[in-house]
Amino acid sequence: MLRGSLAIWQRDMLILRRSIVSELMAVVAYPLTIYLAFGIGMQGYIGLVDGAPYSLFIAPGLITMTAVNAAYNESVWSLWFHRRVQFTIESYRVTPISVSEIVIAKIFTGFTHGIIKGCAVGLVLFAITPFRFPIEHLLQYLLFLIPGSALFSCAGIISGTIMDKPETIGKVEAVLVMPLIFMSGLFFPLSSYPSAVIPWVRALPTTALFEGARRALVAGEMMSMSVLQVSLSALITFVAAVVIFRYKMSE
Amino acid sequence: MGCSDMPVPSIIINSLTKSYGGLTALDSFSLEVEQGAIFGLLGPNGAGKTTLIRILTTLMRQSAGDASIEGLDILRSGRDIRRMIGVVSQENSLDRYLTARENLELHARLHGMEKQLYKSRIDNLLELMGLAGRQLDFPDTFSGGMQRRLVIARALVHQPQVLFLDEPTTGLDPQSRRAVWEYVRSLAGSMTIFLTTHYLEEAEQLCDRIAIMDHGRLIALGSTQELKERLSGATVYEIEFSGQDIDRYVVLLGSMPCVIDIKQAGSKVTLTLECWECLSEIVTSLNGAPVRRISLLERTLEDVFISLTGEKVRE
Repeated sequence: MLRGSLAIWQRDMLILRRSIVSELMAVVAYPLTIYLAFGIGMQGYIGLVDGAPYSLFIAPGLITMTAVNAAYNESVWSLWFHRRVQFTIESYRVTPISVSEIVIAKIFTGFTHGIIKGCAVGLVLFAITPFRFPIEHLLQYLLFLIPGSALFSCAGIISGTIMDKPETIGKVEAVLVMPLIFMSGLFFPLSSYPSAVIPWVRALPTTALFEGARRALVAGEMMSMSVLQVSLSALITFVAAVVIFRYKMSE
Repeated sequence: MGCSDMPVPSIIINSLTKSYGGLTALDSFSLEVEQGAIFGLLGPNGAGKTTLIRILTTLMRQSAGDASIEGLDILRSGRDIRRMIGVVSQENSLDRYLTARENLELHARLHGMEKQLYKSRIDNLLELMGLAGRQLDFPDTFSGGMQRRLVIARALVHQPQVLFLDEPTTGLDPQSRRAVWEYVRSLAGSMTIFLTTHYLEEAEQLCDRIAIMDHGRLIALGSTQELKERLSGATVYEIEFSGQDIDRYVVLLGSMPCVIDIKQAGSKVTLTLECWECLSEIVTSLNGAPVRRISLLERTLEDVFISLTGEKVRE
């Protein structure tokens, strides 16, 4: 049933392989700059956050941010480009594969980009900065990174399906996606929020993702409810992405 | 001829209607296309040709009516229909990040073809389309004509029974257009070809049968010859003058009641007359004029189109 998805995903991976060096250079530069500026440059002024040096506090979040950003960006721009510019989606639709197979392929492509780019940033941080974590914590961390990348890939598919103009895509990213990431405890502990706001922030899947991922990587702590929250959000967004894409294609 | 000798329709369209809000793009459109024919759907931009192709290729649902391809209903058997059709859309939908060969391979895989089967098929198609030497290049480096040939090759990879060509030569230079015509002609008989165009010459050159549509409606159907014969007694003559004072004669001829249309291009004047008997009136009125030659022009599909729609083909 997913033969078509596999063919499209393999096509996307072929393109990624061809441009892997430039893709990774572009994607590593941003979080690395933030890490050096805030984690190293500001560390002396900030001191310990939640009992950890600031560079250690933000590093897991930067890896997670890279992964989910890459997943979102790949999905939204790739879908928009293939639908509105290159018309490749239309060329897929006149073959005997289903619309669902197309959207599933695109979701997996975004997800794969997220995982690869997140891992690349993690490796670079590990290699050239003092950031360290016990290797056995990696498995717990992946339990967040995988559904987190899937969640953002599906969100990107929804945006790329609904929005026809590139400027709208940029606005949504600036107004919705980046605030969701930045306000989820990536750069500061949730305890910094006024107590009345904390329950609302905690309800966000992005908070569960960033908070849970940090604790998993740094302390090896397993926050099962957070994993469940992120996974459930990813599942709901996946269903929504498939339904919305199918609806759009039937118009 | 017994019933068994009747040509089998490959495409049956029955009262197909498509409305977008208050706009009716297809208005109770009905048609049958025989197996193995090259069928041309002619009409100006906005006539509803692309809407019809999008419905037949299962990209869009109709508002009313039904249609079938090779006996399969377009609503109920979308996947099976897509298995047996090839589509060349108006837009260039080639993947610019894949080489020419990779474009064809991806399409073959989407059709579920095995590698050993599609490899030789792609070799043959690239050879046939004159692209074998460029198979490892990206489509962005191709000319418009080469890209079009590659799109046609892609539509043929899985050996479709019905090929839809939606304005396949729009935007191509005359040389590339003729090259595409040659490829289309070479496919004749091996599959049903349903072609839309707003180029009258294209329909005339390629198609066994032609339907003319405008404003979502079918307004004429037949072979080129049949459609030309539908013209009333109107005949078209070309008068070539040798002198300088042609404008005076153009005004004179244009004022005659038997003249339906008059056009001047340099020393040549094209006259559309109500009937051939009118010619004697023309000759009489031109007595003493510096006429080099009067010749009867063969009627074209454009004449048919003007006669049926009252206007020229809108580009």
